[in-house]
Amino acid sequence: MSVIRQSDPKKWTHVDDTEYEAYCKEKGLDPEKYTTMELLTIAAARQTYDFSFIFAGTGLPMIGCMMAQHTYSPNALIIMEAGILDPKLIEVPISVSEARGGYMCSTLSNMADTFGTFAQRGFCTFGMLGGAECDKYGNLNSTAMGGYYSKSARDDGKTGPAVRFAGSGGANNIASYADMGLAMMVQEKRRFPEVNEYVTSCTGSRGPLNTPEDRWHMGLFRGSGTTIVSDLCIFRSSPETGELEMSEIYPGVDEQLVIDNVSWSLKKAKDFKPFAAPHHEELKIARMVCDSNRIYLGRKTKRELAAEK
Amino acid sequence: MAEATIPTFMRGKDKIMSLSDAVKTFIKPGTCICPGGFSYTKKPFALAREVIRQDIKNLFVTMNGGASICEFWCAAGLVKLLDTTYIGLEGIQPVAYSVRRSIQDGTVDVEDYSNYGYGLRTVAGRYGWPFAPLMSEFGTSFMYHDTFGKMGLRGKKADGSWIHPSIAPARAAVIEDPFDGWGLRPHAFEGGDGTSNQTNALEKVRESTAYTGNKGVKVILVPPILPEVTIILAQRVGEKGTTRIEGIWGPDNEQAISAKYCVAQAEKIVKEEELRAQPYSNTIAMQYIDAIVEVPYGGFPGQVPYYYDYDWDFWRAYTQVNRKDKAEVNKYIRDWVMEDEWTFLSSRPGDGYPTITGTKGLQRLFELRADAMFGYKPGLARPL
Repeated sequence: MSVIRQSDPKKWTHVDDTEYEAYCKEKGLDPEKYTTMELLTIAAARQTYDFSFIFAGTGLPMIGCMMAQHTYSPNALIIMEAGILDPKLIEVPISVSEARGGYMCSTLSNMADTFGTFAQRGFCTFGMLGGAECDKYGNLNSTAMGGYYSKSARDDGKTGPAVRFAGSGGANNIASYADMGLAMMVQEKRRFPEVNEYVTSCTGSRGPLNTPEDRWHMGLFRGSGTTIVSDLCIFRSSPETGELEMSEIYPGVDEQLVIDNVSWSLKKAKDFKPFAAPHHEELKIARMVCDSNRIYLGRKTKRELAAEK
Repeated sequence: MAEATIPTFMRGKDKIMSLSDAVKTFIKPGTCICPGGFSYTKKPFALAREVIRQDIKNLFVTMNGGASICEFWCAAGLVKLLDTTYIGLEGIQPVAYSVRRSIQDGTVDVEDYSNYGYGLRTVAGRYGWPFAPLMSEFGTSFMYHDTFGKMGLRGKKADGSWIHPSIAPARAAVIEDPFDGWGLRPHAFEGGDGTSNQTNALEKVRESTAYTGNKGVKVILVPPILPEVTIILAQRVGEKGTTRIEGIWGPDNEQAISAKYCVAQAEKIVKEEELRAQPYSNTIAMQYIDAIVEVPYGGFPGQVPYYYDYDWDFWRAYTQVNRKDKAEVNKYIRDWVMEDEWTFLSSRPGDGYPTITGTKGLQRLFELRADAMFGYKPGLARPL
């Protein structure tokens, strides 16, 4: 696939340095030091291509796609499932349906129309998602753990699933139609099992490549693999097996920590490389353009909270 | 024809009702109800609050597009069955806590679809189709789970009637595409496929034997939704029912037209002519609206595009409240809705939660007004 990225920060959305310093001072932030959520946002934006279609799910993808639009992929078209095509985001939306997400978009329609007219027809390069669990082949679970069924449909006497998550929303469809999955997740061992108990969306190959278990042999006619951006590293589907492999590692993260936080024996990708630390220009945009209220960026992971203690 | 047999949609002004009459007339215990809107946007909260005031229980909620109304109803203990795609509050609370708790503790039984799967069900419902074709959900756990089926709610009784008139006899079905994937783009158009699509696995899919045992392209069929009542919020509704929804439609038009009855909560009831001067902008034809209720600001604490923004501070505070003890949350929500909508709107906004400006009641609603160029209130303070 052809890759075009706008990597010249001079052509990104402009943020004045003096204003940035004042902002950091007001919020008590170090102008050069990044947090985990900032890293996730920047890492996700770096994966996107310019002139691509980014179908963004709710949650972290809201700020991920906004970051992409203001930096590496200024001409990428953002799609949101409530009916939005190609908005110009100037305030981060908290929902795929809110008016902030629809500002200056080309068309507004309805949900079925968005999936039909854009995704099913092939205008969906990246499927940007979040998830609760991710397995060896890039399948996400955002539905339930501890048995799917609710009380009246269970046979084990329990009152319902141990933990119920939000459910698919558009995640299943975005993952089904996207040329490439792009999921943003916090990495913990229990969230990265070898096999998911419930599969809500297949962002990657689904099963071993070229077997009846892969996504295409199950009936999905699009997709090429996935990129999972975690808070420790970046995983990519192996082009030979479909397994997720460690592809890039963040500065200061020990490889063993990544290995210890997945449940399968993790391999390193052939073209494994270190991930370049987020730089000043990226941080300026993430903080001041994308989320000055720190709605997403102000969140802390369990690992960060533990480190603070 | 006797006057009594004139269909509702021909009766003109009879459709305009008070909030309490509309809810009393159309929503009963056990009703299959479909709330419109999407997450925080254009949710008919005034109607939802009236359902809580009238304490209408055992609701069968079928919905797409976010759980904010369902969250309030689950908090008040009014929901029994849920046919849905997503139970989160998006950026404010990843999983709506009262809905989550009700599913985990056995109060509510839930059936899941994907958003496009459900969206196609609303399209089938709208057009009166027996089913609609879906090309995702393949390869996932959706294919092997069917809550309502396991509960014995699908199919027919011995006397030939449906076990549950609002539940289809099957969750979904898989067929072999009789057109061999011919219609699936990218297609072999001369000079390229004309889309940005970069992966095409149609030939692999033709080798697939999944689900039917035979080689070839498979299609999932999903049944229509047929709710008894859909409730929507529209900015303007004509006095005979012509409806114009501005901003993001979400699932509203399809869900409204799929239902047996539709109750529209309007920011403003206007003369039909005001809307018929630009009929191309109207989104729901007059005969599908059975009752019209005028409640300016009735979408509070949500956002109504071009009219007012959501009350960020309310939601931030509410997501702390709904994690409390179940009985306490139930009491909170019943107390929050007050005795009627006007009392609610003139006293609850800004009341009982910290806000930056400190305004309350109508003054706070006034403060949330949207800027017409944006559709929302630019620069609305949204501290985490």
